Amino acid sequence: MTTEAVPQPLSAAPARLRKKTAAGTGLNSAAGHLVMVLMSIFCLFPVYWMVATSFRPTNAIFETSLWPTTMSLDNYVYALNAIPIVQMLVNTLVVSVVVTVIQLFTGLLAAYAFARWRFPLDKLVYTGVALTWLVPFQVVMIPNYLLVAQMGLLDSVVALILPHFASALAILLLAQSMRSFPKEVIEAARMDGARSWRILWEIMTPNLRGTIASLAILIFISTWNEYFWPLLLSRTPENSVIQIGIQMFMTAEGNQWGPLMAASTMASLPILLIYVILQRQVIQSFMKSGIR
Amino acid sequence: MAELVLSHLKKSYDGKQVLHGVDVTLPDGHFVVIVGPSGCGKSTLLRMIAGLEDVTEGTISIGGIVMNDIDPADRGCAMVFQNYALYPHMTVRQNIAYPLRIAKVAQAERDRRVEEAAAILNLTEYLDRRPAQLSGGQRQRVAMGRAIVREPEVFLFDEPLSNLDALLRVQMRIEIKRLHKRLKATSIFVTHDQVEAMTLADTLIVMNGGRVEQIGSPAEVYRKPASVFVAGFMGAPAMNLIDASVDVDGLVALDIAPHLPVAEAQGVAKGTPLVLGMRPEAITLSFDSSRGLPATVDLVEELGGSRVAYCTVNGRELAVVLPPSDERYEGREVYLQFDRRAWHLFDRTTGTRLDNLVQPRASTRRLAEA
Repeated sequence: MTTEAVPQPLSAAPARLRKKTAAGTGLNSAAGHLVMVLMSIFCLFPVYWMVATSFRPTNAIFETSLWPTTMSLDNYVYALNAIPIVQMLVNTLVVSVVVTVIQLFTGLLAAYAFARWRFPLDKLVYTGVALTWLVPFQVVMIPNYLLVAQMGLLDSVVALILPHFASALAILLLAQSMRSFPKEVIEAARMDGARSWRILWEIMTPNLRGTIASLAILIFISTWNEYFWPLLLSRTPENSVIQIGIQMFMTAEGNQWGPLMAASTMASLPILLIYVILQRQVIQSFMKSGIR
Repeated sequence: MAELVLSHLKKSYDGKQVLHGVDVTLPDGHFVVIVGPSGCGKSTLLRMIAGLEDVTEGTISIGGIVMNDIDPADRGCAMVFQNYALYPHMTVRQNIAYPLRIAKVAQAERDRRVEEAAAILNLTEYLDRRPAQLSGGQRQRVAMGRAIVREPEVFLFDEPLSNLDALLRVQMRIEIKRLHKRLKATSIFVTHDQVEAMTLADTLIVMNGGRVEQIGSPAEVYRKPASVFVAGFMGAPAMNLIDASVDVDGLVALDIAPHLPVAEAQGVAKGTPLVLGMRPEAITLSFDSSRGLPATVDLVEELGGSRVAYCTVNGRELAVVLPPSDERYEGREVYLQFDRRAWHLFDRTTGTRLDNLVQPRASTRRLAEA
């Protein structure tokens, strides 16, 4: 048996039905882009001004032209001669890298314990760790200083690292990521004979690369930019970090804007480099968490 | 040899008991399927065997050794998980080789076993891919490969096919059965899918509410269900379960048709509430008004090889399997005739099977004669 379809005349959709609109097109999209461009200018202009000023000669330092009318490297030469800037950059790099590695290491160990093990008072300990994040550095500064002084480590790079062996932020972020890690994969590893140490380093850590990269950037930048603790400990420029070096161009007689900007530009370069290297990982981790 | 014995096995979470004492002996080399609805405790039981859940009470022994406190890796069990549980950052080769790497198996031996497992599972050409680059079926095969290389005494499968599409599910089912025939290791397969259970099992364990309802071959469980639950759970479409009771003459009478006693129930007290079960394929449908129970067809499901008619008899729905045809049944008055050899009788209070049903005597009337 066959049925023959009788063609029905098609009518236009009633006005009450809204037409579908493609996202990201038309006026809305243009307005969105305009806001993003303005915000980018707002963020990037101070950086641009720092770089531009660092190339202005001393007599033209307060010029308001967007790009220096005459270019000069005098500020860089002066800054490099006035303070041991290379040594300071090396010190800052060593402190930042070591602190980043140590905080990630201790963070991964502690986060695994909080995420995977149940032990007496575990929730209380976790809350305690979370609370330490809220304690300002100024509160623990004096006890830390006294400890370091008693250990005879004042004016040393080691003392800059010592109080930063663990970070509550790292523990909390990593514990959160580990909690959302598929339980079955860990159980499969247990069935395959892996114990906690292997599960942490061979199964979980490689799959938390996005979180670890984001965290590494955060720790690295915050350590690189640290000013107060090095200011307290440093006695000689050779054992100090770049943030202290920059501050040396701000004197009672007035600020040396040209060398200050040159030193600041040199201090910013490693941070920018690190971000360029790891940005793919960071963006990936943000995208993944968005998709989930 | 790996005979697996579960003895008085119980499991509680925060005082709430979820397994109420399981006693099972699984012979070496058997393919055992644990089937039951969600939350019946089947996965918990499997995870206890694997060592991923602690035992509250009772013992698990594999090959004569009590395994309660033994580490999961040392029980001689390998598990295939529902969502594959592959290591996303490793290639197929690394995934399969991982248990061997942990066991410090020599590189040459490791390679040999990985290649062998890959060949068995048709994974050779995918060995250098990562799980994300594989289809669902291929991922499941990698998970099986990871289990095979360990050469375990017991394979544990936790609903491994439930994430696959219907076609792939059938293919993988056949592959698992073939694999079992080849490896001959004791296998325990958990599923809520009764078709998987029937087709794969040498021995079927039906669970409900943390208890074992029945253990037997698939045919035994299907033909002689031990309880109302098993009768209703095993079989698609499900067995028709109709309330019944014993009348004054000692005959079982259906509540939907009390004037039609169907059989004699020996030793069952008058008035005892019963349930009578009839498989949909044990009922035939005709338009002959001289025989059978009058019914109305509400709906017919087309399955290609057969059709299922849902009929109403005095407000109660009965499913009937029909041979393929173009006959239109919906909305029509029909007459149902029953294969009296396929009746199942259960105690409605306890839900247990009663084997007291005696087939109709000559005096038993109309319906039975139909």
